[in-house]
Amino acid sequence: MTVSALTAAALELSGVGHVYPDGTRALENVDLTVPVGQRLAIVGQNGSGKSTLVRHLNGLLRPTEGRVVVDGTDAATLKVAELAARVGLVFQDPDKQIFAGSVRAEVAFGPRNLGRRGVDLEAAVAGAIEAVGLADQAATNPYDLGYSRRKLLALASILAMSTPIVVLDEPTTGQDARGVARIQAVVAHLAAGGRTVIAISHDMRFVAESFERVVVMRAGSISLDGPPAEVFAGPNWPALGETNLEPPLPARVGQRLGLGATPTDDLLVAALAERPRS
Amino acid sequence: MLELSGVTYRYAGYAKPAIHDVNLRLADGEILGLVGANEAGKSTICLVASGLAPASIGGGLSGTLTIDGEAMAGRPVHELAERVVVGFQNSATQLSGVARSVFEEVAIGPMNLGLEVPEILARAHAALRTLRIEDLAERAPNRLSGGQSQLVAIASLIAMRPRHIILDEPTAQLDPEGTRLVGEALRALAGTGTALLVVEHKTDLLDGLCGRIAVVADGAIVREGTASDIFDDPRLADWGVEAPARVRLGRALAGRGLDPAVVLA
Amino acid sequence: MGAFVIGGYLGPLLIIGLVIVPSTLIAGTLGRLVRVSFLLTLPVAISVVLVSVFTRAGTHVLFAIGPFDATMEGVDFAGQILVRLFAISLAIGLFGLTTDPNALVYDLERRGVSPRFAFVANATLQAVPTMVERAGVIQAAQRARGLDTEGSLRARLRGVMPLVGPVILSSLTEVEERSLALEVRAFSRPGRRNLLWAAPDRPIERVARWAMVLAFVSVVALRVTGNFPDLV
Repeated sequence: MTVSALTAAALELSGVGHVYPDGTRALENVDLTVPVGQRLAIVGQNGSGKSTLVRHLNGLLRPTEGRVVVDGTDAATLKVAELAARVGLVFQDPDKQIFAGSVRAEVAFGPRNLGRRGVDLEAAVAGAIEAVGLADQAATNPYDLGYSRRKLLALASILAMSTPIVVLDEPTTGQDARGVARIQAVVAHLAAGGRTVIAISHDMRFVAESFERVVVMRAGSISLDGPPAEVFAGPNWPALGETNLEPPLPARVGQRLGLGATPTDDLLVAALAERPRS
Repeated sequence: MLELSGVTYRYAGYAKPAIHDVNLRLADGEILGLVGANEAGKSTICLVASGLAPASIGGGLSGTLTIDGEAMAGRPVHELAERVVVGFQNSATQLSGVARSVFEEVAIGPMNLGLEVPEILARAHAALRTLRIEDLAERAPNRLSGGQSQLVAIASLIAMRPRHIILDEPTAQLDPEGTRLVGEALRALAGTGTALLVVEHKTDLLDGLCGRIAVVADGAIVREGTASDIFDDPRLADWGVEAPARVRLGRALAGRGLDPAVVLA
Repeated sequence: MGAFVIGGYLGPLLIIGLVIVPSTLIAGTLGRLVRVSFLLTLPVAISVVLVSVFTRAGTHVLFAIGPFDATMEGVDFAGQILVRLFAISLAIGLFGLTTDPNALVYDLERRGVSPRFAFVANATLQAVPTMVERAGVIQAAQRARGLDTEGSLRARLRGVMPLVGPVILSSLTEVEERSLALEVRAFSRPGRRNLLWAAPDRPIERVARWAMVLAFVSVVALRVTGNFPDLV
């Protein structure tokens, strides 16, 4: 991944390691620079350190080694509440964050903590609820929503904070086809607005279609890093296999047909169309 | 064989039925997939087919649940448990939270049935063996990975020796490796003659696993057929179901005048 | 319990010195035990001292604050209560630190307690660490949304409210899911179960248990019949 010298870094992790108090090492020597506006997916097996890594981005965990720089400022100098204005993190389990009596109140909690009030607050809340498709249920009690909608609500509650960096932990879990499409649209919309989007995911299609860079984690370290076309290309299959990941189908078909890196249906079809017909 | 005939079910406190006029037949040794959008009624069908609704959670049911020709209406849940069991997506709440080892966890069901100790032990061993997780026997249940704990949850169900197992999104919380393990476990189970009803969003998993698929939309079963019939149906997207990767790619190819059969061969 | 029945200073001190401290030394948890019981006893101890020292009527007035006289009799009474309290909290602490709740509940069931009651007791004992862990995750999620819980006491208190809802609600959801999952495994079947193992019970443990029961019964009997020797 080439990072233009002109592009500012949204996040810069250097030599980040984390050892939990019980002695378990969760991260080891992680170097990661994320330019502003990048869409980055983090993949890897459960327990490979993905969730631990993203908790370092907003200060919920502090590195036991190395340094995390957010938006040019050393994260160690900022409180979690201050980092929250820069990095919004959507947790995997919505039930561990939802507490308000209505969808609207839940979504307003974050931006209100950041000091937004009045019309400005209302606009942020309404926009976020609209973006995840819950506009009809703004007054509903979150516990009357199904699991997949509560997950979308948790996403909206972070979107409303308008943070320059948005981090999603397993956003597509439990979503049906429409829910996944909705989340893909949100990612595209955020990126179009120049925001940095980072997502942890096990869904390789989602990763290949919606992200421009993939980081593969294994045992607390980064084992592969590059655009989907590169990470999912044939030479990396053994390394992917070690983390029990399978490249998406179009990447496998493209490789077999000698078309090179085609991690999405569209890329494979385009490559086939360009190939001289035999 | 488990059969739902003309089933309409309304949760306690709701006026509108969650599912209506559902007919579904689950034959011995078959894996039947259940797909549909969220909130279409898939989980409700699982609760009714397992007898938990209404026996355990109340609500209003019309129509019948029969197992091997016997009507199940009015039977207490512990009697149903020897014929049909249901597992849910969150493996953490599937486990009792009181067992010290995986073996003890798996043994809880047979213990509850009041069986003699040698039979309890035999069943727990057999359940672990069927899913090839004997090596987890001495592990603490709360120190397992998501995939492992889902397998333990399924083993705990198998130890009841039911003829029918219903699983509601068993792989939703799992990584690809955990999903693969559960898939293999289901295939092994069906091989023993157990009938399986599996709700899943991961159609790639169901594609290789299920003989038949039923589609649920707005509380009713709108289509039933072989896996390839269902997944090739152009209405799949309208039902909120993601087509398997091979089908999506095939469509993309066909859309550009390319022959999927040639490319995907 | 024995400590309350015996009364005085010597009785509770004997129980502490002859029973609790030796057992604790065997278990190797003296330091932790003292810390735990001290923390457990402290709030009650403070109020007991204040109330009894100043309100106990007596002739030996030590000093007075406003309308309240501190009497020698009050100090004596408070002292007696304190040694009893400490004996009890040490005993409870020792029990908590050395007993595996799982084994205890399993054994209760083996001795005839209903399986349902045994499960509820067991689940309750195990629920506390789970709740604490859950509260931690929930608080992390609220902080990620800009809730400032670092620094002042006020900031910390502000962080409590958004915690209560999800902790309780997610616990309730979990209980509901878990009870369904258990019903599927025939949990509600009436009648007894055959248990897989018995908690190890050495002869010396049995002797100790019966000795304690015997001691307790005789102390009560002596008290009731008025034959209890006067202790300091």
